[in-house]
Amino acid sequence: MNRRQLLSLGLLGLAGASLGHWAFSPASHSPLIYSARSNAQGQHFACAWHLDGQLAFEQPVAQRCHDILPLPDGSALFVARRPGTQLYWFSPSGELRQTLNSSADRHFYGHAVLSPDGQHIYATENDTRQPGRGVLGVYRLDQQISKQAELSSHGIGPHQLLWLPQSGLLAVANGGIRTEADSREAMNLEHMQASLVLMHGDGRLVSQETLSERQNSLRHLAVAADDTLVCGQQYMGNSRDRVDLLAIKRPGQALSAFPVAEAQRAGMQQYTASLAIHSEQRVLAVTLPRGNRVQAWHLDSGQLLHDAPLPDCAGVAAVREGFVVSSGQGRCRLLSLTAEGIHTTALALPAGGWDNHWRLS
Amino acid sequence: MRLRFAAPLLFAVLAGCDTPPADTVTVVNQLSQQMLADYQHWASASAALANSTQALCQQGGSLTASQQSWREAFNAWAALQPALIGPLAEQNRSWQVQFWPDKKNLVGRQVKMLLDANPSIDQAQLDKSSVVLQGLSAAEYLLFDQSIDLSQTEQQARYCGLLLAIGGHQTQLSQDMLSAWQGAQGFAATLSNTPNQRFAEPQESLAELLRTQVSSLELMKKKLGTAIGRLSKGIAQPYQAEAWRADASLDSLRASLASLQTLWGQAQQVGLRDLVNDAALRERIEHQHAQTHDTFAAFTSGLQSLLSNSDDQQRLDKAYLELAELQRLYEKDLARALNIQMGFNAHDGD
Repeated sequence: MNRRQLLSLGLLGLAGASLGHWAFSPASHSPLIYSARSNAQGQHFACAWHLDGQLAFEQPVAQRCHDILPLPDGSALFVARRPGTQLYWFSPSGELRQTLNSSADRHFYGHAVLSPDGQHIYATENDTRQPGRGVLGVYRLDQQISKQAELSSHGIGPHQLLWLPQSGLLAVANGGIRTEADSREAMNLEHMQASLVLMHGDGRLVSQETLSERQNSLRHLAVAADDTLVCGQQYMGNSRDRVDLLAIKRPGQALSAFPVAEAQRAGMQQYTASLAIHSEQRVLAVTLPRGNRVQAWHLDSGQLLHDAPLPDCAGVAAVREGFVVSSGQGRCRLLSLTAEGIHTTALALPAGGWDNHWRLS
Repeated sequence: MRLRFAAPLLFAVLAGCDTPPADTVTVVNQLSQQMLADYQHWASASAALANSTQALCQQGGSLTASQQSWREAFNAWAALQPALIGPLAEQNRSWQVQFWPDKKNLVGRQVKMLLDANPSIDQAQLDKSSVVLQGLSAAEYLLFDQSIDLSQTEQQARYCGLLLAIGGHQTQLSQDMLSAWQGAQGFAATLSNTPNQRFAEPQESLAELLRTQVSSLELMKKKLGTAIGRLSKGIAQPYQAEAWRADASLDSLRASLASLQTLWGQAQQVGLRDLVNDAALRERIEHQHAQTHDTFAAFTSGLQSLLSNSDDQQRLDKAYLELAELQRLYEKDLARALNIQMGFNAHDGD
């Protein structure tokens, strides 16, 4: 790869072995990352930054957002976290196209996906008349976004959802926790019902699997190109219980614990935040903000590739070189996958304030 | 609209304020050296505890001397709370030193179960056992619990194996942690010599130091708050207090506060205060440190007796509020003044 090619990918800064920054190329921006962000005063923002440190837009929003859905025309949908009631649709240049309010007796859970045909958006929602009853709001994507239907999530407290690229099925992590409107307080810690659901886009249930520990809440998902699905959990029980926090569902197989050694499991502090899979390299990366660590494994062998501190780490996304990771407190990082292991580089992005998820455009 | 974080240095120039007398690199370097000294002190105190328990169990030494060694080791550990960053803060290693809270008396129950099953435990076996048994909490049970009297030879026969193994485990752990802090590749150097794979710049080191100190204040609040009933509708919980058997709760809090105050700095010693431009804020934190110190210094008896007296309970409530105010100042005002985002994903994620 020559300098011109590096520049075109915005990766020139990665060529050096020493700690540096993404190079800024005026002719060609590096990849765009979307994230929710908050400042020390508690104000919330919808952000889009190029990884070379150039700002695309940063707009104030009334409600704290969680995940972002980049759309094919370069626009992006920012989804309020529970018990937020708004979706914010921003144009590629950062103009607010639409603020969509949730239906009566519904709030969002922070995640949404676009259907494979690009026509519909599916968002996880809470039916607050029966707190925790999981709903998937189905929205028509047109000049405006409008709700068309609702499906059952086949579980309680749905959180992240993803399409499986090969089977075309929708995977839903039902967190199992009931919360009421305007509340983040769990009502049913002793009777949680978390489940991983696979379903068709029309709502038909394909499978529903549970974990062995009742208080283990399925939260986040990542999927590889071959449909290998990984779930990240948050354990609501005792801080000293030994509980598996990652589970894997290989195509055609049952959900099972992803093998994590005790040192790494203990380092998670019972809480996984965000997951990403580098499909080409078959590597899984997970952020652990309570443990203040980022860990990575080979997806197939389970070999540990990385376990390093990053305070209040949050979003993680796969890029060509490896992964990029954000932090609520410090500088963001590039984790480069090399033959010698994972090399960490600081990104030229603002430090701190980054929320749970990063989405690459 | 652009999301902006406070930029105190720029503001200082524009507003004509006095510049701080030290830069971030200098302060981080000073703090890392101070914390290294705290780790050295802990390692020495742990070794002294091991020696003292050997004297008790093998050479006719006094129980009182071992109890005093335990107190010194426990205070050295408490002084590390604002320095719980790096190796000891990772992989739950700190659980090997202290098991608290212990709502179900796991320490007492597990010691009994262990010794019933394996009366001749040695350090190699303890190293593989539960963290509940490895630390100062289990040693406290052996040295201070009313059901045990280690000045009696027959009791020594039952309990000394475990006590000696704990002394060995603590000596090894504290020495390992000290080694991890020392030298060109040690954690003190990692904090000071940025950029490196862990800290991208001095400001990141500073941010993690402050976050650790704020966490230590949260823990201090939790320790006192649990005992005085802040979490139980005002009903005191003497047996939920930290180190209640040795009645060492207040000594522990005083040691943690003193350590925090040292890291804050004073006239002759560089500390966080030297990075604060705002003289009024510096004064407020200084004042709060002094007031908190004086409040805790005024307690002339242990927490257990104070909890049984309503006037003293009010004084303990006041002490809790002093801790809470100190924490607020660190977490809000000091963080803002130092341009540090405290992070929120760990505490308020989804």
